[in-house]
Amino acid sequence: MIAGVVATLEDLGGNLQDVIDEIARMPCVETGDVGPNPRRLPITIDSPNPNALEETTRRLQECRGVAFVDVVFVHFEDESGSTTATHSGKPNSS
Amino acid sequence: MNGDLQPRPDTVQRRQFIKASAMAAAAAVAGGTGFLLPILATEPAAGVQWEKAPCRFCGTGCHVQVGVQDGKVVAVAGDRNAEVNKGLLCVKGYHVGSALYGKDRLTKPLLREGAQYREISWEEAIKTIADRIEAAPERFAFYGSGQWTIPEGCAAQKFMKGGLSNNHIDPNARLCMASAVTGFLATYGVDEPAGCYDDLDVCDVLIMWGNNPAEMHPVLFSRVIDRRSRGEKITLIDISTRRTRTTEACQHYLEMKGHGDLAIANGIAHLLIRNGTYNRKFVESFCSFKAPDDQNPNLHGKPISFADYQTFLEPYTPEHVEELSGVPADQIRMLGDVFGNPELKITSLWCMGMNQHTRGTAINSLVHGVHLLSGHFGTPGNAPTSLTGQPSACGTVREVGTLSHALPGGRVVADAEHRQQAEDFWNVPAGRINPTPGYHTVKMWESFCTPTDKGGDIGTIWVQVTNPGQTLPNLNKLFNPKGDNKAGLEDKFLIVSDVYPTATTRLADLILPSAMWVEKNGVVGNSERRTQQWFKMVDPPGDARDDCWQTIAVAHELFKRGTDGMKDRDGRFLFEVKDNDNKPVPVWEWEHYYDVNVDEHLFEEYRQFTRLKHKDLAPYSEYVKARGLRWPVVETDGQWKETHFRFSEGFDPYVEEGTGIQFYHSSTHNDRAQIWFHPWIAPAEVPDDDYPFMLCTGRVLEHWHSGSMTRRIPELSRAMPGGYVEIHAEDAAAYGLRNGDKVKMESRRGALVIPVWIDGRGKPPRGTVFIPFFDETLLVNDLTLDAVDPFSKQPDYKKSAVRIRKVQP
Repeated sequence: MIAGVVATLEDLGGNLQDVIDEIARMPCVETGDVGPNPRRLPITIDSPNPNALEETTRRLQECRGVAFVDVVFVHFEDESGSTTATHSGKPNSS
Repeated sequence: MNGDLQPRPDTVQRRQFIKASAMAAAAAVAGGTGFLLPILATEPAAGVQWEKAPCRFCGTGCHVQVGVQDGKVVAVAGDRNAEVNKGLLCVKGYHVGSALYGKDRLTKPLLREGAQYREISWEEAIKTIADRIEAAPERFAFYGSGQWTIPEGCAAQKFMKGGLSNNHIDPNARLCMASAVTGFLATYGVDEPAGCYDDLDVCDVLIMWGNNPAEMHPVLFSRVIDRRSRGEKITLIDISTRRTRTTEACQHYLEMKGHGDLAIANGIAHLLIRNGTYNRKFVESFCSFKAPDDQNPNLHGKPISFADYQTFLEPYTPEHVEELSGVPADQIRMLGDVFGNPELKITSLWCMGMNQHTRGTAINSLVHGVHLLSGHFGTPGNAPTSLTGQPSACGTVREVGTLSHALPGGRVVADAEHRQQAEDFWNVPAGRINPTPGYHTVKMWESFCTPTDKGGDIGTIWVQVTNPGQTLPNLNKLFNPKGDNKAGLEDKFLIVSDVYPTATTRLADLILPSAMWVEKNGVVGNSERRTQQWFKMVDPPGDARDDCWQTIAVAHELFKRGTDGMKDRDGRFLFEVKDNDNKPVPVWEWEHYYDVNVDEHLFEEYRQFTRLKHKDLAPYSEYVKARGLRWPVVETDGQWKETHFRFSEGFDPYVEEGTGIQFYHSSTHNDRAQIWFHPWIAPAEVPDDDYPFMLCTGRVLEHWHSGSMTRRIPELSRAMPGGYVEIHAEDAAAYGLRNGDKVKMESRRGALVIPVWIDGRGKPPRGTVFIPFFDETLLVNDLTLDAVDPFSKQPDYKKSAVRIRKVQP
């Protein structure tokens, strides 16, 4: 499973980079570039299963300097059987 | 990371592509740079089609983008175009898609034969239900939920009240937000919040009354935390009976005893008047005063003067409030100072803590009252706002009115004019709607579990989209007798439509497999008056079918048999739907159900009701384009415009110019809201020598409500595998308990053997314990009390007296 999350960082008196470095050292985690809002850190988590994904998110949440973690993207494809998408009354124009 | 740089699947491995998409999405949301999420761009090579839908779980109403490939949901993403969540989701977002794919989905209708179930055809299932109804229509009841979509609720409502002349229809929302409804009605004369989530972005003080949004409505809480991370000053105050993850983020934690909130609200009002810091101009211009009418108890009470109000509040000094609530007097003064400061913008949030309360109507009214008394109302950031726990508790239950006394659009069955309006909109004969309210939830199930010859006059209940076998209070009285002690109940018949086996299907006589979430079309309404629409994206498994189709199919079976109630004024089928050529479509036949958009048909019929109480909805097609719209939605200059703040000039189109604030549904018919006095009253059950602990029940982060979906997800189930009792370390020591020891919890209604978690997550205060209700193998509602609020009829799940005995291994 792969997820994109956003960590909201707390102001710890100029130690933002330390917090980001600590997060970057976590397994399965990759940090992205900080944008215009330096306290919103984009992160991907690449984990073998949802359990590990949740666990990593939990550890992120507990990281010093992390105020909150939001989910942005989740891909959870697996190999179980599939069905076919069908017409739903949706107009063609949309 | 730049959102314009999209790796292509033909040049990188698939996994790397997905990962790049995930990072781009996160960067886009984190940066707020305005470029579109790459996942929303057309990417034929990836093979994933993205469409919008609101999340399946709570009442926040986050919009997700759902990725479908080969007829299967494979990905979800926060919808950056959605105002509610601005691209974010909570951790339940990990599972909203995979909740469809648990291994034990119900896929065939099942009929009980002795101790076994037999697979039957849908035809036999529909006929079986019709037989039960035809034999005794007045003994039939429909039990639904705040997870019914708006069209599903419309169909059930019309089938019962407009078809069978039977008002025995009620939802599980009776158990979670009925007191919020009565609080709004008693105060403003009309239901649902005046404010919206925008208040969270501008308030200076956020007060959470028995509410844990950090875990139960995380995206809303994240909006607030994000403000603080950007350096904005916002004060968070948590008033609660136990610590939660919300507490950790708050500057103030006020730990109270059960029902302490009644005293605290009165204490704030006492201080506002004593200190002269109430908003005299606001009160004199826009408010009246009310108190309970003890001689003739009713929702609207009796008028009192300001002097009476002042006298009633006199005893509620900070010191007395401390005695009643357990909250130190200094903290009561702090709250008085906060509300007494006109420069601050104050938002209050609440959910189950105030609603699951035998004085739920009273505490809801009192919290509205402190906002009105202090004038913290009607401007952005100043709002008392209740939250809901289900995706359409507001849209379906409160607006469509799937309650035993209600009709759509804020109408009630007891009012002749309201009945006539409904009969006209539904095109059913005059006099079809029964004027007597049906049974509310607790009474419905009590009647079902009482032998017919002893007055139990409900013989058949059809349950859709909920799990009463786990969530009703006092289960040994209100549910279990049907299964565990059948003496005298052999004639009762339980029908359950669901997606997975549950504690309710365990006792069902007929089980119907249902479609869920994006396996069907839907429209829902969230906590901030926002109506949201989505289209079906994938097929349900096996023979699972839409709940709405099930209702219509039974209605048509009765129509075929000549049941008058299933005919409209013109003798046509109650749910006749025509195609673009004006020809009726046999929507009761599953293979034709999606030949037309039944949701749209039901929605447009329902929309006529919404204008009756200024809860106007736009045409269905507008919701197809939008990520939800907040009612009233009014057409102006050819545009459908939503309303952010009700009753406030400049925001609400129904407020007359020059009035400033206008409570145009005032119960006193003078455009004024009611400021209530209600006395502090002890909980219905309090600890004593025999049952010395106060039990609180609630939810956990990992599981949504009764866990019927989230416990199917192995990872969540492993993370939080089973129920437990949280107990204070000193209480545990006094009983010689260690973590993992089993204890027998007993109340006057039942017993439960359950493992101990010392302190747990909530660190319950001494003399209190907490048990979550998600675990169907450890039914905490065997212990809970079925006492209800006198007006909302909502039970109190937060205060039951219990005792503890260590079980020897």
